Amino acid sequence: MSDAVQTAPESPQAAPAQGGARRRTRGALGRPTVRGIGLIAGLELRQRVRSTRWRWALVSVAALIAVVTGLIVIATPDDAYSPGDLVFGLVVYFVLFVGLVISPTLSATAINGDVKEGTLAPLQATTLSAWDIVLGKLLASWLASLAILVVAVPFMGFAFLDSEAHPGAMLTVVLVLAFELLLVCALGLGWSALAARTSASAVLTYVTVAALVVILPILFVLLMLTMPSDHQVTHVYRDYPYGISNIDEERYPYIDESGERFRCQEDTWTSTTYRTDRLWWLLAVNPYVIVADSAPTPEPPDDDSYYYADGILDGIKMGVRELRLPPAVYEDYCRPELSDEELYRREQRDALPPTWPWALGAHALLAGGAVYLAARRVAVPYGTLPAGTRVA
Amino acid sequence: MTTTAEVEAPTALEATRLRRAFGAVQAVVDASLTLERGTVTALIGPNGCGKTTLMLMLAGLLRPDGGEVTIGGLDPMQDGASARARIGWMPDVLGTWDSLTCTETLVTFGRAYGASAAEASQTAYSLLQRVHLAEYAAQPARVLSRGQKQRLSLARALVHDPDVLILDEPASGLDPRSRIELRDLVRSLASEGKAVLISSHVLSELDEMVDEAVFMARGVTLGESAQAEVARAKARWRVVALPGQDVHEALSSATRDWSPVEGADSSTAVVQVADAEDAAALLGKLVRKGVRISAFGPVGSALEQAYLSLDQDRR
Ligand SMILES: Nc1ncnc2c1ncn2[C@@H]1O[C@H](COP(=O)(O)OP(=O)(O)OP(=O)(O)O)[C@@H](O)[C@H]1O
Ligand SMILES: [Mg+2]
Repeated sequence: MSDAVQTAPESPQAAPAQGGARRRTRGALGRPTVRGIGLIAGLELRQRVRSTRWRWALVSVAALIAVVTGLIVIATPDDAYSPGDLVFGLVVYFVLFVGLVISPTLSATAINGDVKEGTLAPLQATTLSAWDIVLGKLLASWLASLAILVVAVPFMGFAFLDSEAHPGAMLTVVLVLAFELLLVCALGLGWSALAARTSASAVLTYVTVAALVVILPILFVLLMLTMPSDHQVTHVYRDYPYGISNIDEERYPYIDESGERFRCQEDTWTSTTYRTDRLWWLLAVNPYVIVADSAPTPEPPDDDSYYYADGILDGIKMGVRELRLPPAVYEDYCRPELSDEELYRREQRDALPPTWPWALGAHALLAGGAVYLAARRVAVPYGTLPAGTRVA
Repeated sequence: MTTTAEVEAPTALEATRLRRAFGAVQAVVDASLTLERGTVTALIGPNGCGKTTLMLMLAGLLRPDGGEVTIGGLDPMQDGASARARIGWMPDVLGTWDSLTCTETLVTFGRAYGASAAEASQTAYSLLQRVHLAEYAAQPARVLSRGQKQRLSLARALVHDPDVLILDEPASGLDPRSRIELRDLVRSLASEGKAVLISSHVLSELDEMVDEAVFMARGVTLGESAQAEVARAKARWRVVALPGQDVHEALSSATRDWSPVEGADSSTAVVQVADAEDAAALLGKLVRKGVRISAFGPVGSALEQAYLSLDQDRR
């Protein structure tokens, strides 16, 4: 009697409970396969290449870059002050700008657009894995944005020959640009997986790119200003014996450019400095800084200048490195040669490891995270559906 | 050993006690069904009763909150891709890649299921023939009409020769000829040994196509009661005599269970028969009695009848 009572009512309830514990909460991501990725990438490219006037788009991009390159070459001074990598740097930065503006459109609707058109679900129902679909879409949008870079390479090459950039800079710049385009494509893919509406994902992708390029530098300045720190700073300044006729040469040992005698006076007081050495990483993840930091620059001349930046890429590289040092505590406006502290800081700065490997690593993490989210979004069977969407 | 046994088992797909909610909306409450090889099963129910949701769970695209699905011994939740390889799913929304031709679309899908390019294009060619799209093989999908896209979508569900076909409203938007062709195609697929589950709102059409029917209302599949209703509907025949003839009287004297037809006089009635044999006997009897019968046959679509009476029960 008692065992009949136990088995009969419990068995129907026990089964779903067991199933719930064993069941995965979301679909399996599966494995990426070369065949699957290639199939999806080919499909996407064919669909895109045929449905857009891509030839005209590329020709307009080329024309735009050509015009800007020409204007940069004409506008930069070509005199005794050698502009270093100025022309090259400006053209590269313009190409990066064009890439950052165009790439989001190539991937930011890749997933939610397909959901809207009803073309994603039939693919998910095949044996392709989530990674196949997502990596295929990433590859397709990356190849499409690399077309921009390919179009831009001749102009960058021209600017490179017109500049005095380091011979290796051309290679690093192209590689870093290609990587940054991959990052933007991955971000677009991630947002297209997270947002249900295509307009939302496009905006969010642009906002993310803008965050890296503009918002973080603004944040850098604001944070810097909100955390001032007080330091004892020793200032050294020139003291001239005004109005004294018999100048004691012992007391005023130095002679300036116009023959006047002066001496150096030290004065120490508390002044406000900014701890950029704690915030510089906000700038280091900027794509523009990465391009500059990773480009090799010519050996510094062996003179006693504190900054020896030559051109724009070199200048930005030096600037960010300087920001990584703690505030100076000894300001020497008196002697023309470098003070001990300045020599020390220059040595420190030159010994700093480059930031671009870390920044590229951070970007790779960001891209990887975005692609992972996208893969989770297309993995079937769906656990929870994104709000406001249907499978089909 | 076990796999061959499973392949030969008559049950192609079995779902038990499936349920699924979207937030607060309980789309499928308790759905169970069994699809046999070589049979066509209709899934019938009012709008929003959960047919599409149930089909998504069967096709391995949506995770049920509870219950089990088995496709030839595989669980789509555990072994996703290999279970999906056995299912052909035709969605109710028409998604086509506008710029790809019909052939390219089918080849892409064939290759997505793992076929080689050569195999896939072979299959694509024969499938386009089969759904009468051969002349559009090289046309981009955007020029296709709605019905043509529908047929392309059906072909897409067949590229990997699945054991189980799940067709979500395949007939919507088809012209009468295409509907008949669809019916014949579905029947021939079933005769090849596939199990077909088909949902449609055009019930008269399903009558001639399906072997089984699963009725669904408010997320629940109606088992026995619905089968009984279909059997009852199949047993209802309409008798129409020439004006002035009294069919009611004749049926009463033959001690038949009959009912008058609303808005018609005594020359028309609906009578309950046991089977076709019984119906033939009744007709002979009426004719011998001198009633001048002008029409005698089953009342409309059995599925439609059953559907309407079940729907009434629900309200
Ligand atoms: N992704 C979703 N999010 C929220 N609610 C959903 C979702 N999908 C379905 N529903 C709800 O679940 C219920 C069942 O929907 P389903 O699409 O399965 O109906 P159906 O039987 O296919 O209807 P129809 O005959 O109109 O095609 C509906 O009330 C619907 O609003
Ligand atoms: Mg539906």
